[in-house]
Amino acid sequence: MTTTLFIQSLLAGVTNGCVYGLIGLGLSVIYRGSRVVNAMQGDFSLVAGIIAYLAMERLGAPILIAFLGGMVAGAIVGWIVELLFVRPTRKRGGTEESFLLVTLGGAFAVSAAALLFFGRDSHPVRGLGGNELLDVFDAAIRVHAVWLIVLSLAVVVALRFFYTRTFIGKSIMAASIDADGATTIGINVPLMRSLTFLLGGAVGGVAGVLVSPLITIHYEMGLLLTLKGFTAAIIGTLGNPFGAIVGGLMLGLVEALAIVFVSSGYKDVISMTFLILIMIAIPNGILGHRGRAGG
Amino acid sequence: MIRTKISRRTVLMGTAGVTALGALHAPAIAQQGGEPIKIGAVLCLTGPGAGLGQAERSAMQLAEKMVNEAGGVNGRPIRVLIEDDGSKPDIAKSKAEALIFNEKVPLMIGSSLTASTGAIAALTNGEKMAQVALTGLGPAIELTYKSLYHVLPPQPLNARAMLEYTKAQNFKKIGVLHDSGYGQLVYNSLREQAAAYGVSFAAVEKFEVGAQDVSTQAAKVRAAQPEAVYVIATSPVPFRGARQVRITQPIISAIGSSPYDYVRGMGEYADDIVFPEFLVGEDPEPHQKAFVDMYKAAYNSLPKNYEAAGWDALQIAVNALKKAGPTDREAIAQAMREPYRGVMASYNFAAPDLTGIELSSFVFSKLVKTQFTRLPFKVTARS
Repeated sequence: MTTTLFIQSLLAGVTNGCVYGLIGLGLSVIYRGSRVVNAMQGDFSLVAGIIAYLAMERLGAPILIAFLGGMVAGAIVGWIVELLFVRPTRKRGGTEESFLLVTLGGAFAVSAAALLFFGRDSHPVRGLGGNELLDVFDAAIRVHAVWLIVLSLAVVVALRFFYTRTFIGKSIMAASIDADGATTIGINVPLMRSLTFLLGGAVGGVAGVLVSPLITIHYEMGLLLTLKGFTAAIIGTLGNPFGAIVGGLMLGLVEALAIVFVSSGYKDVISMTFLILIMIAIPNGILGHRGRAGG
Repeated sequence: MIRTKISRRTVLMGTAGVTALGALHAPAIAQQGGEPIKIGAVLCLTGPGAGLGQAERSAMQLAEKMVNEAGGVNGRPIRVLIEDDGSKPDIAKSKAEALIFNEKVPLMIGSSLTASTGAIAALTNGEKMAQVALTGLGPAIELTYKSLYHVLPPQPLNARAMLEYTKAQNFKKIGVLHDSGYGQLVYNSLREQAAAYGVSFAAVEKFEVGAQDVSTQAAKVRAAQPEAVYVIATSPVPFRGARQVRITQPIISAIGSSPYDYVRGMGEYADDIVFPEFLVGEDPEPHQKAFVDMYKAAYNSLPKNYEAAGWDALQIAVNALKKAGPTDREAIAQAMREPYRGVMASYNFAAPDLTGIELSSFVFSKLVKTQFTRLPFKVTARS
């Protein structure tokens, strides 16, 4: 194995890890604020990617405006999901399993709608820095991938600040931990839950616009992203945004190193074995204690 | 049934095209009468095989119009009953049962994927009726069926086409990047035949169907320093991945990776990639030009291999109906067992592989800055 190959695998692992982590981050935000395991998280990213693509390619919007539009679209879809699917289910006494099934159905519906209106083609999306590559000891990483890594970390820091330093962030946490208690001190619990999905949708939107230039947009990408993001969030403790990124990075690096040191054919076997071992050894995830303490 | 509208102008243009093709052996527009002759078709219009089935359906519907405008089958119009199997063999079987036993179609066309084709073949073989499959030869049991004919090449032939081009370029050390579905099937055939062409594989990397990133696998292939790289997948992802880790060597791919939707997904990385295929819409061979013009007029897009296969399948069916009449299923199946020059390829359904496509039917295209160009290279010596 050459040094270049090793560095290339590390770069791929970190980039993929941030992709998984960003999706897991959105899952954690929604779970943290509403105790809903949202199987539509990847579809928020799909919608955001499509909106960004259409804004750039059909309307000629600048890339940053298109990305912003995608993020807003993700947030709006998140809010609509809470309003139309989650809230009515909760009113009728829905359990965590019900929410999972409802959002899973929603994920298939979004995928089918994307197929109907957007077609079966894979669409390449322009990234920050175009297709420019950075040279790292003869290994290559796209400039856009560097932006993805930097912005992923920025989102984690911003979320930590939001939950610990802002009134709305604290109110969301209060509404999630004890809805009745929060109501008695004047917190609008339904609004906090809507804001949770709005925030989760926005994070999904950020993930979508940052991930799309690396993987192309395809109508089936939503559920695939959700599965990887869910794995990252579980490894890092579901509900802990920082944990999702750590879990994503671990998963991405294990996959990449498994390809280099073992075989690409065993990549998934090794990464899933790793997941099983983590779950047996640390059932609450690697940041379980910090998660319970409030991230 | 799913049908689309085709304008009268297109029909008139197409009629002229069909006459020019000579593929129908059709007389001038004839007076039609009597009940339509039903032809059953089961295609993958939704699900994973939709990219194939929808292309095939478009061409079959165009062919149906053209045949009827040219006089139908011995004065009777044809009516193609197209059903969607959702890319699932159990649905393909039930849809075929309805067509065979309720609609009493004299022959079947389809399906678009091997598993669905096999499910239908179990029925058509029992009924001793012809089935024109839009797939290559599948499991060994298909060789025991006497009336199952394929209009797409078997994987060993696809592999030989790739190896012929590789040998002609004098590449001996090859890297391979393939998916675990279609790519694995083609690679298995490549591995069996590579030695005969003096080709060895310096690195072989696999990734799962639907993978969103293959950069580490591509980096391993690059590290092996091959002279050329085979990328075989039903996705644009590995082509992008290969170029993003600076694989600068020529890429040679397979027919299943050539559809336009994959090429669009490659974006600006769709460059210096060679495909052995059958129809280059941008630069068709002389016998394909009338079909390409007709298709473009009807749908405002260029056809490719699967459209040509759908067109040929229906023309083969019509040809047999003209010879054997519309009622005797065994006679129709027998009438197909002879050489036929189609738009996509020259077939001989009496051949052991139930296809009879020869390497000389392949054309070789190259993507140059996202545009297909037809290469002068052809295989002529062996079959």
